[in-house]
Amino acid sequence: MLEQTANGVCLAIEGLTKRFGGFYALNDVNVEVASGHIHALIGPNGAGKTTFFNLITGVLSADAGRILFEGRLVDDARPSNRTVKGIARTFQNIRLFPHLTVLETVMIGEHCRSYPSVWKALGKAVLQRPFGEAQEERTMRANALELLEFLGLAGQRDAKASDLAYGDQRKLEMARALATKPRLLLLDEPAAGMNPHETQELDEVITRIRDRGVTIVLVEHDMRLVMDISDRVTVLNFGTKIADGNPKEIQNNPTVIEAYLGEDVQL
Amino acid sequence: MIYQQLINGLMLGASYSLVAIGYTLIFGVLNLLYFAHGEVFMVGAFVGLYLVIYAGVDIYGALLGAMIACGALGIVAVFVAVRPVSKDRPLAPLISTIGLTIVLQNLAVYLIGGRQLAFPETIKQQLYHFGPVTISSVQIFILAVAVTLMVLLWLFIERSKTGRAIRATAENHETAALLGVDVNRVVLITFVIGSGIAGIAGVLDGLKNSSISPFMGLGAAVKGLIVMLLGGLGNVPGAMVAGLMLGMIEILSAAYIGTTERDFFSFLILILILLYKPTGLFGTRTIDQR
Amino acid sequence: MLDGYTQSILIFTGINIIAAYSFYAPFKTGQVSLGQAGFMAVGAYASAILTQKFGLPFPVALAIGGVVAGIVGVVVGFPALRIKGVYLLLLTLGFSEIVQVIVLSWEYVGGAQGFRYISFNPHTLTYTAIIIVALILFFARIERSSLGRAMDSIHQDEVAAEVMGVDVVRIKLLAFGIGAMIAGLAGGLYAHHATFMDSTTFNIMLAVEILTFVVVGGGSTYWGPALGATVLTLLPEFLRTLREWLELLPVAWTNFFPVNRVYDFLHAFLDFENAKRLIVYGIILIVMMIVRPDGLLTRDSLRRLPFTRWKPGHA
Repeated sequence: MLEQTANGVCLAIEGLTKRFGGFYALNDVNVEVASGHIHALIGPNGAGKTTFFNLITGVLSADAGRILFEGRLVDDARPSNRTVKGIARTFQNIRLFPHLTVLETVMIGEHCRSYPSVWKALGKAVLQRPFGEAQEERTMRANALELLEFLGLAGQRDAKASDLAYGDQRKLEMARALATKPRLLLLDEPAAGMNPHETQELDEVITRIRDRGVTIVLVEHDMRLVMDISDRVTVLNFGTKIADGNPKEIQNNPTVIEAYLGEDVQL
Repeated sequence: MIYQQLINGLMLGASYSLVAIGYTLIFGVLNLLYFAHGEVFMVGAFVGLYLVIYAGVDIYGALLGAMIACGALGIVAVFVAVRPVSKDRPLAPLISTIGLTIVLQNLAVYLIGGRQLAFPETIKQQLYHFGPVTISSVQIFILAVAVTLMVLLWLFIERSKTGRAIRATAENHETAALLGVDVNRVVLITFVIGSGIAGIAGVLDGLKNSSISPFMGLGAAVKGLIVMLLGGLGNVPGAMVAGLMLGMIEILSAAYIGTTERDFFSFLILILILLYKPTGLFGTRTIDQR
Repeated sequence: MLDGYTQSILIFTGINIIAAYSFYAPFKTGQVSLGQAGFMAVGAYASAILTQKFGLPFPVALAIGGVVAGIVGVVVGFPALRIKGVYLLLLTLGFSEIVQVIVLSWEYVGGAQGFRYISFNPHTLTYTAIIIVALILFFARIERSSLGRAMDSIHQDEVAAEVMGVDVVRIKLLAFGIGAMIAGLAGGLYAHHATFMDSTTFNIMLAVEILTFVVVGGGSTYWGPALGATVLTLLPEFLRTLREWLELLPVAWTNFFPVNRVYDFLHAFLDFENAKRLIVYGIILIVMMIVRPDGLLTRDSLRRLPFTRWKPGHA
């Protein structure tokens, strides 16, 4: 793990471009994310950050450019396939499954690991003993509980996902993403709607996830959080990369300060 | 021969267009496949028939009566099967209007019996020859009514304040409500207009085929759906043009390929459109695929 | 042991239950299909051709009919993956209609005259019962499995499920194919009980009726389809029985104003005429959607039952 951290490139983005009609959401963006880093992606509203995530996870397809994950091209893979390869994400506008419980939600993330093929899933479902349960199911539940414990949600394991408090829903999204055993985790505004205390906790949680060997790309508006924990920061504005560097450099970069003029953000 | 077929296709298409207009209006504002629309069409035909037979009115009276009766039916539909039903479950309004479909169709069967009735001749049958093409007075009348209605409706939608409200609601419910549009009222008006036009279409269909039956609604409903999709969901002018196109395609394929294949082609078009151009030929106002 | 009439009613109820499960399978992944009538037709004609033209034994023909319908289901389901909601509804409706047109113009299976004199199978009730038990066991196990949970997640948020690594494409296709296969079995049973079918037998109204079975019974649990199909199929029988009960009342109780008017009205209304039966059916659909839009049975109502020792979808 440590050697990888030293010099490996986890994610390489080359010339990524996405148009909506005549509007460039992303224009020829190049980013390199080092393994084991917490890499923040910041920029004013509408800079193309969420589009960036959607392209990496395959929710949208790019008009031009290449996406290399651990040295391999993933451009043609479907989203689920990219998850299997090791890319996971959370959503800015929380997208949990409203009728599943907290535990079930996390177990959805594990499904692709325990049942790599549909046929295995069908076979195990049909051939399970009437009142017993498959070994896979037991392992999945144990892992899910461990993740819930890790994020402090174990007490609410049987609550409906949609009944959780806002901050807890964000944490559950992270638990669900971690359940897919990713090597790259994309966090889309994890601190949005959290109070200062919760943000403080989040700071620690994200660092601990990184310490588990997961590379993190973070989109966040809370600059204190970003500057606190990031190893590297990329700044987007109107779909174009305007700066790239460590937090210190970014804070003193005149282009970045100008881009943020008029926005109520403390760099 | 080909010109004659084109005229016949236009005739068939005009009634498809009229049915599809109501569908597409209602789909536009509610995102609802209003299955009962075909039955409204059937009710219009019967109201027209009974007005002519028992009230002795002329064809204009029949058209007006059918329009009013079906407009009223539209109001009933809103209050019985649309408004009380929860909107956050996409299938619930669909099923309740299917219930309404079943009620209307079987009410007709119960009251009239499951047979065809002859539609009285209310326009003097006269044939006009234009070179190789023969057109009857009935056909000219139907075409004239249909075209007039479509023009009026188009003007209404594009120019009037209510028309603008309907368009705004079709774009987006929340935004329309924020702009001060009374969405409930718009839905009601849309049902009245769509149903009224379907009523007129029913009478015209009776005139054209000289017979009507309680089961005429299902076919009209299905064809109306295809036309709506072809024109783009929620797109009123699109539905008008697409109706005429489908009419032509059906008549031409029936004439040159075979009558059984006629329906095959319309459903083939439906499937091809769905797979390759789900926004229809002329685009759609509601692109939400849910 | 059962008279022919009762047997026939049970068989039709059973076929409707199977048809309802055929809708439930794709519905569990959020796919709403009006193609189940078409798949029933495929299964019915395939199995009837096998027994009538090739002399295959009924169970073999029934099974092959189901498999053929399932294959057609995958073929239809593949392009159907690209579209959702209203568009999928229309696509599957178009499929059902195209099957009807093909049957109508295919002289080999009787064309416009219909497929006549299909040999009657005396054991249809047994086969129907076996298939229903198998289906309930099957869906109970799906419900308790990771696959079932994945299907639920697709139903609730397809994009989120896909991004969480759930193989949405294959699972949806599998569910659609399984649904089509079940519909094919229902069709095969129907053909060899009714002994006659034509292009109007498996029409759009049947597809719509199958949809209503599941929505009325409750689409969020695997007991819903069985309940909905049973209630809605037996409803006219129930109305008829109600009429017989009315007739059992002593005359003295009812023979005075205004009770006699109510009695006459009810008595006239509850007869077994199709149109009136369907009017009541339609009214019930509307009322159901107003008072219980999630169906008679929901996941929550099942959870409240004291004797459910495991929670649905929870293993």
